[in-house]
Amino acid sequence: MTDAALAVTQSAVEAVTERYIESLGGAVEKRETRWEVTIPDDADTELPAGSLSVRCGNDLEADAAGASLHPESEFFQRLLGDASERCPTGKLSMATDQAEVAVPQWLHGNDVEVRRARFTPYYDRSAVVVLFTVSVETVSEYQREFLRACAIDRRSENRLPALEAAFLRTTSVTTETTERTSRSSLTESEARSLLDTARDQLLETVQTEIDDVHRKASSAADAELEEYRRLQQQRIRELETERSKLSSKVDELSETINDGDQKSHVEALQERKEVNTETERVTSELRDLRERRDHGFPHKQGEIRDRHALDVRVNPLTITEVEYERGELDVELTHDGVTRTVTVGYGSGIGITDDRRCSSCDRVFSAENPVTTIKNSLRCRRCTSSTG
Amino acid sequence: MSGYDLVDVEVTHESADDLLDSLSENDTEGDHLQSIQAVRLQAGQPDSELRSLKELDENAVKLLEHQVDAAYRALFEMDGKALLADEVGLGKTIEVGMILKEMHFRETDESVLILTPAQLAKQWQAELREKFGLEFVCNYDDGFEDFDAHDYIIASIDTAKSERHRRTVLDRDWDVLVLDEAHYVKNEATDRYDLIDRLSYNYAFFLTATPIQNELTDLYNVVSLLRPGLFGTRDVFHQYFVNGDQETLVNRDELQDRLNEVMIRNRREDTDIDFTERTIDTRTFDPTPKERELYQAVSDYVKGAYSQDQGQKLVLMLLQKEVVSSPVALKETIEKRLDERSALTHADDLETILDLIDEIETVTKQERLLDIVEEARDTVEMGRVIVFTQFRATQRQILDRLAAEGYTVHAFHGGHSSSEKEQIVEDFEAEGGILVSTDAMSEGRNLQFCNMLVNLDLPWNPMRVEQRIGRIHRIGQKRDVFVFNMALKDTIEEYVLERLYHKIDLFQQSVGELSSILSRLEESGTSFEDHIFERLVNADSDVDLENDFDAMAVDLQEQRELADKLEEFNSGVFEGFDLGASDD
Repeated sequence: MTDAALAVTQSAVEAVTERYIESLGGAVEKRETRWEVTIPDDADTELPAGSLSVRCGNDLEADAAGASLHPESEFFQRLLGDASERCPTGKLSMATDQAEVAVPQWLHGNDVEVRRARFTPYYDRSAVVVLFTVSVETVSEYQREFLRACAIDRRSENRLPALEAAFLRTTSVTTETTERTSRSSLTESEARSLLDTARDQLLETVQTEIDDVHRKASSAADAELEEYRRLQQQRIRELETERSKLSSKVDELSETINDGDQKSHVEALQERKEVNTETERVTSELRDLRERRDHGFPHKQGEIRDRHALDVRVNPLTITEVEYERGELDVELTHDGVTRTVTVGYGSGIGITDDRRCSSCDRVFSAENPVTTIKNSLRCRRCTSSTG
Repeated sequence: MSGYDLVDVEVTHESADDLLDSLSENDTEGDHLQSIQAVRLQAGQPDSELRSLKELDENAVKLLEHQVDAAYRALFEMDGKALLADEVGLGKTIEVGMILKEMHFRETDESVLILTPAQLAKQWQAELREKFGLEFVCNYDDGFEDFDAHDYIIASIDTAKSERHRRTVLDRDWDVLVLDEAHYVKNEATDRYDLIDRLSYNYAFFLTATPIQNELTDLYNVVSLLRPGLFGTRDVFHQYFVNGDQETLVNRDELQDRLNEVMIRNRREDTDIDFTERTIDTRTFDPTPKERELYQAVSDYVKGAYSQDQGQKLVLMLLQKEVVSSPVALKETIEKRLDERSALTHADDLETILDLIDEIETVTKQERLLDIVEEARDTVEMGRVIVFTQFRATQRQILDRLAAEGYTVHAFHGGHSSSEKEQIVEDFEAEGGILVSTDAMSEGRNLQFCNMLVNLDLPWNPMRVEQRIGRIHRIGQKRDVFVFNMALKDTIEEYVLERLYHKIDLFQQSVGELSSILSRLEESGTSFEDHIFERLVNADSDVDLENDFDAMAVDLQEQRELADKLEEFNSGVFEGFDLGASDD
């Protein structure tokens, strides 16, 4: 799944800034790398109203007046914050421009020539595209955050990967979009239901990334637990040694008690009592430690597991209702003096909607296995190459 | 390698209420497309380039491709936690300088702590200032208060871990931690390791040419400080990556993949650095009888005075160094001390020494210097020679003498302002002749247009000697470099030169190589200069002295061999590793 984030280049920064200021009713007057920006007093924005000098990119003179405009400049970050919250829902139409009809991949890469392709829309369909940020965080790894688009057909609630790609193309900064977006007609309840579907689909698509972090976090937790086990094992050995020493001491004292005179007898009895108490303490600690070891240090394990647990947060940022057209695409093909028209299901923005199969072997046509002859019917490369 | 599902995954869906509310808000203005683009840009990486590079002064630092690559990868591909493990002499300090400069530019460096071995702290400070315009306080500065009083600090790791400072260092959340000679923290049972393990920081850059000191576990320890869990448990690391004999690696591809996430190692053979030859010509001269008498008197005085009052060590060391530089330097110091009437031992002996100074008519080194510069007039471009001395008085006298002989001369010392210094260097380049400089000539000065250097006197600190040579023998020098060392026979200078410096092949070592030799010697806390001085004053006879210096030379040679062996061992271990940037 393609990351929806855009590269924050200086040219993107400048293009977005200029368009946004103008959409606020403001003006940008450019003098090379110095811009004079005016924002009207009544504009609904957090950006400062009035006139402002802006220095672009590498115009880095620290003592120059005005705000600087580069990917990380405060001014640009404020502008992005302002713009992202201004209109997070809306509608976008993917109207079909006949010149932009996407001919299927399986018609490329061979001698069959596409003479004409014509899309006939039969009905309008709509979908929603949701932009989500997904952040994955755990104590031992860096927080990973990515932005993903998820497109769901409004009626079938199926995911439309091709529409996601088309949406990202259409909404990139460099694409010249003439159409303006409009208000969405979605109701809140319908949007909520589609959003839930989109969330489920999204989680499936980011599973690989989550698995990657999960594996590393597990490894880190395992390392920590292993260190802990090692330390405890060492402690057990120390306690065993200590207990053995104490036990010898008790034996020695018992001998003194049996053999010694009255005075040493009393002293030894007293001392044996103390040593026995200490032995009990050590034995108890040892028992406790062994028991915890035999159970795999459940408390510590739980504590480490909790600390390394992955926190995945999914946050929807924009919802776009996307209108697109569905219909049929007639593709006129010519090869070796034969002309044939093929009709396939097609949608604007989503491309070919049906698979077509080889009339001879019934394999699905693909970029790797394209149509190579249209003489009597459509046949794939495999069939034509094997029949020579 | 380990249990995959040891930890849980908890998924939280943030509330979408505000977003859904906006569907029914009638007063929503603006273009939805702009909101989409803003959201997509907010999630995007800033154009990852080192934007501060354009701000660097090309005259102060010449960046090499592998250094720029390393800085870029450490910042943008390793998320600001990297082990910079280039082979010796490829400029790891420069790489960190670039990283810090970029972070400063991006304002992600509110607090920076650089931990280095003691003897490198001031050098780090000077390099960052001169090459990158970054100001750091060093714990040896008079103005240093404590670790919570400054935001940009260079300190010796041992100062930071000391009882006095440890708490303050650990109480703070540092933005950036730089750890030079990171192999010092290889052992997890040491206070140094413990300090780094407990330090709180967002970004960290560890430097070492030899990540592995004794065994492959060293690599595990250093990397685990940077990226806990990258190698799993210690046991798993051993079982999986280390052969039973502890000396070879197995599963190298996987190890390389993991190391690639955190370690950058450039090798000399992969860079385009092409150093020219360096020729060393050490010339020892017989002093005149009067000079010999003066040397003996001063040495006797120093020895006697030190045995009575060790508190005067610094000034005594100074006298011992000055007597081989020039009588005039010695005279100035003695007169100053006598004028100050400070508590001098045997002031009358000093008066006698002054008399001896006055009797000297011929200063041998200065006469012989004329021979060298005369040769230079014919052999090097525009007769350009740099003469280094440690003392301003010597410098003045040489300048006068050379000027009287008709040479074009230039003086460079710490008393000049930055712009004056720049002008002096420019004049030297344009007019040629002889630049007489003290050690105030900074790292950053670009002097590779000159290829002949004279050490009129020799610092007792080998790093300083290499720094002098490094002014001209640096990247960008196109010609072979000639270094003349001048010493008087049977003096301390001859011992230092012959017995120590030549033994460790000092004049052919890079700063990086020297630091790895010296840092072991100086781990005891005694500086190289102190070692020399102690031997000098404690020897009972000349034979003793010679033996002492021989013993020190043996130590040094051992350290050097050890350093060479380590470097070789690390090369062997990482041989076949391609730790360059990945292709994708």
